[in-house]
Amino acid sequence: MDFILDQLPQQLVNGLTLGGVYALIAIGYSMVYGILTMLNFAHGEVYMIGGFSGWWVLHLLSRNHTPLINAAALIILMIAGGMAVSGLLGVLVERVAYRPLRAAPRLNLLLSALGVSIFLQNLVLNYQGAKVRAFHVAGLVPPSLQVIRIGPVVFSFMRVLVIVVCFCLMALLAYLVKNTRAGKAMRATAEDIEAAAFMGVDVDRIITLVFLIGSALGGAAGVLVGLLFTQVDYYVGFQAGLKGFTAAVLGGIGNLYGAMLGGLLLGLAEALAVTFFSATYKDVVAFVILIAVLLIRPQGLLGNREPEKV
Amino acid sequence: MTAAASTHSGFRFRQPQTIGLLAALLILAVAPHLMPNSYWLRVYSMIGIYVMLALGLNVVAGFAGLLDLAYVAFFGIGGYTFALLSSAQFDIHLPFAAALPAAAIVTMLCGFLLGLTSIRLRGDYLAIVTLAFAQIFKLLLLNLDRPVNITGGVNGIYGFDAITIFGWRIISPMHYAYLIWAAALLVIIAAARFKSSRYGRGWEALREDELAAAAMGINTTWMKLAAFAGGALIAGGTGALFASFQDSVFPNNFDFPQLVVVYCMVILGGLGNIPGVVCGAVLLTILPEFLREYGAYRMMSYGLILVALMILRPQGLLSELPFLRKRMARPDKDASGRLKSSTDLYYGAAQTPPEASGGHQPDAAGTLAMAAPVREPQPILRLEGLTRNFGGLTALSNLDLTLYEGEILSVIGPNGAGKTTLFNLISGIYPPSRGSIKLYGDDITGAKPYQVARAGVARTFQNLRLFNNMSVLDNVRVGCFSRTRSGPLSILLNLPGQRREERETEARAKAILGIFGGRLTGYRFDQPVSALSYANRRRTEIARALSSEPRILLLDEPAAGMNPQETIEITQFIRTLRDRYGHTILLIEHKLGVVRSISDRVAVLDYGCKIAEGHYDEIVNNPQVIEAYLGRRKS
Repeated sequence: MDFILDQLPQQLVNGLTLGGVYALIAIGYSMVYGILTMLNFAHGEVYMIGGFSGWWVLHLLSRNHTPLINAAALIILMIAGGMAVSGLLGVLVERVAYRPLRAAPRLNLLLSALGVSIFLQNLVLNYQGAKVRAFHVAGLVPPSLQVIRIGPVVFSFMRVLVIVVCFCLMALLAYLVKNTRAGKAMRATAEDIEAAAFMGVDVDRIITLVFLIGSALGGAAGVLVGLLFTQVDYYVGFQAGLKGFTAAVLGGIGNLYGAMLGGLLLGLAEALAVTFFSATYKDVVAFVILIAVLLIRPQGLLGNREPEKV
Repeated sequence: MTAAASTHSGFRFRQPQTIGLLAALLILAVAPHLMPNSYWLRVYSMIGIYVMLALGLNVVAGFAGLLDLAYVAFFGIGGYTFALLSSAQFDIHLPFAAALPAAAIVTMLCGFLLGLTSIRLRGDYLAIVTLAFAQIFKLLLLNLDRPVNITGGVNGIYGFDAITIFGWRIISPMHYAYLIWAAALLVIIAAARFKSSRYGRGWEALREDELAAAAMGINTTWMKLAAFAGGALIAGGTGALFASFQDSVFPNNFDFPQLVVVYCMVILGGLGNIPGVVCGAVLLTILPEFLREYGAYRMMSYGLILVALMILRPQGLLSELPFLRKRMARPDKDASGRLKSSTDLYYGAAQTPPEASGGHQPDAAGTLAMAAPVREPQPILRLEGLTRNFGGLTALSNLDLTLYEGEILSVIGPNGAGKTTLFNLISGIYPPSRGSIKLYGDDITGAKPYQVARAGVARTFQNLRLFNNMSVLDNVRVGCFSRTRSGPLSILLNLPGQRREERETEARAKAILGIFGGRLTGYRFDQPVSALSYANRRRTEIARALSSEPRILLLDEPAAGMNPQETIEITQFIRTLRDRYGHTILLIEHKLGVVRSISDRVAVLDYGCKIAEGHYDEIVNNPQVIEAYLGRRKS
């Protein structure tokens, strides 16, 4: 028991880090769901490709595992690169695979999204191979900052970085959605896509913007996870996608703050599961939470339930 | 057709089905011997496995439209159950004849349990829950080798008992080829039987519009569970066969890519289309063999196939090909080939009474004409203190209303008065917040829509909720669902009872569609509802409601969107329903001309309250009613 209590604060920090990443992924699901009421199966793959983009930036700008440019600038470039590639990829996917199906039955849209996911995953498998790409981050962190110790709790620099970046991005997004003209258009489109169109909102552009933002955040999450766990492979998108979706559903899909809350809660729940059970079944915990939420409160923690109109 | 002849109709030559079956048997008998080598013999057997898998998935995803992403886990459960029951793993050595059914049934139970989640979830949510289930299953397969070795972890389980069926030992690949394809043939026949049965139509209706399906008397929960269980049963049995054929099971056999392959087969062939799905399975098993050197691109191309098919041909490559389509009769053309107008048809057919147009099925048409209207008014439906709140809004408040047998009662009122809410409460779509609903003295408050439909209350919808991709005839046949009994077993074995019921259902549906003159008969039977005009869709919806043999018909704005001529026709028609067929009718209508000419009584709602009730002439002079419709005079 002492062992567990000693571990607890540490695991809470780990949970917070993981939760921030899940929240970033969940936002992408939730924003798309809010507007198109579709589950973007390909989002996990977009996240994975974001991670790979970050790895390429790191790979191109370092020699023998030491960065060629300023370390802080390199980290920023990595995150920006991941966001840019993922954002554009999300827009492209929407354009090619979802837009032609907007009026089609939902099952068709879902299957198309599933197809995109399989395609992207195997595209990366073919061109990157199945092997794990390592992020050599040791050179990015000044030795004095490698480990930050507060009481019994150890913060690695990367954990702090991930938490800070996650929360900054989320705060930025919340500001954009709440206070800008585009944000207002987004909220209107999510409320009623046709009514928004009649009021002069260019719905296609808003949807493109939503995919751009959601996918870019997913890409950022991919790079951050790469920095944190120092590796990426073609298969990570699948798990991460499921986790992100779980987080979005937990918080109430379609609800931005719900996605953030759901992500953090899921991260904490997993960290606690690792503490109290075992790491082997960590993923089972997420899925059990998902199934339980869907059965008990399908609208999620912050979601509203709308009765079906007959 | 007499009953005696029909019981011996199983093997009638010259029937295309019988010829097809014989041809299939001949091909299956010869095909294994035509394979150039043992490698291709193996491919041939794998095609059989995939045909079964694809047809099982077709039950869940194709017929019922449920995106089940745990399907491959069911395949695995079947395989692993078989592995545990007939190997040295736990030293259980059940004979094949017991192990295979056991594996299939265990899998079916798992399917049933997973199906329970589908009661509350649909679409994306169901997809993700089933995907999570599949992931848990794979995690368990990989990790249940410690502390007790159950699944063998990554190494799987291998070395099963040799199987024996009716004294024949199945050892060589040739034996397996015959065994697997015999099973595949059985699955094909079973799938075809289910598709053209009340279950098949029930699933299709569920896929098209769940709420309307429930309102037509289909227990949607049960049908979903049945689809999950049926799909799992096939997957489990196939898994057992596959395990025995491969003589081993590994977690990788039952992984996500496998699921994608099976989905591609089903979608390529066309969801729900059995010959298409079989062709899809054959094609996608053989094709990769010829494209071996491009193997790395295989999964990538499956992804592309899915996206491209959804955008370009969502009905599947093999659906709706002109030469496969049934040639349809065009009775609306006269001898010179000139098209007759539908009005001619209507008034031409109206000369003969509808009973006669039912023709040679006197029993089916006879049940249509129910007892003549009862002279003594008997209360049939009684609403007491009926209230429904939506959050803070009271849509219907403390409503008392009694409907007497054989009358036409119209409910009118301004928009938002609570008329449709009233219908939704009676038909069980929402439970009332307070109050009770009694049908013939039985309390049906809070009953589910399908229970209300079975109790004898059928409805139409204000905005039309037809099963748009189903044919006119099938839409009406769905209405017969609650009045037919055939269970899965009698459909599977095509028992005489099931065959008789199918004939009766068809005759009945045709007789009901005949009531509308020539408007919905002949070539219309096989047309999808989406091809009909608006007025004809309204008529089809009424026909669908009639086919559930209702005692009370709830018609929600039957004349909405009809032109004056059509309005006159539908008004007369509603009166006919009461006068000739004895239906009691509760009607919502905005066209006061219709209300005036056919209502025995009228109830007026405003803001959820009943403000007047009585004969039309009384209520039109009621000052409260005038105020509700026209507003108050400035004083």
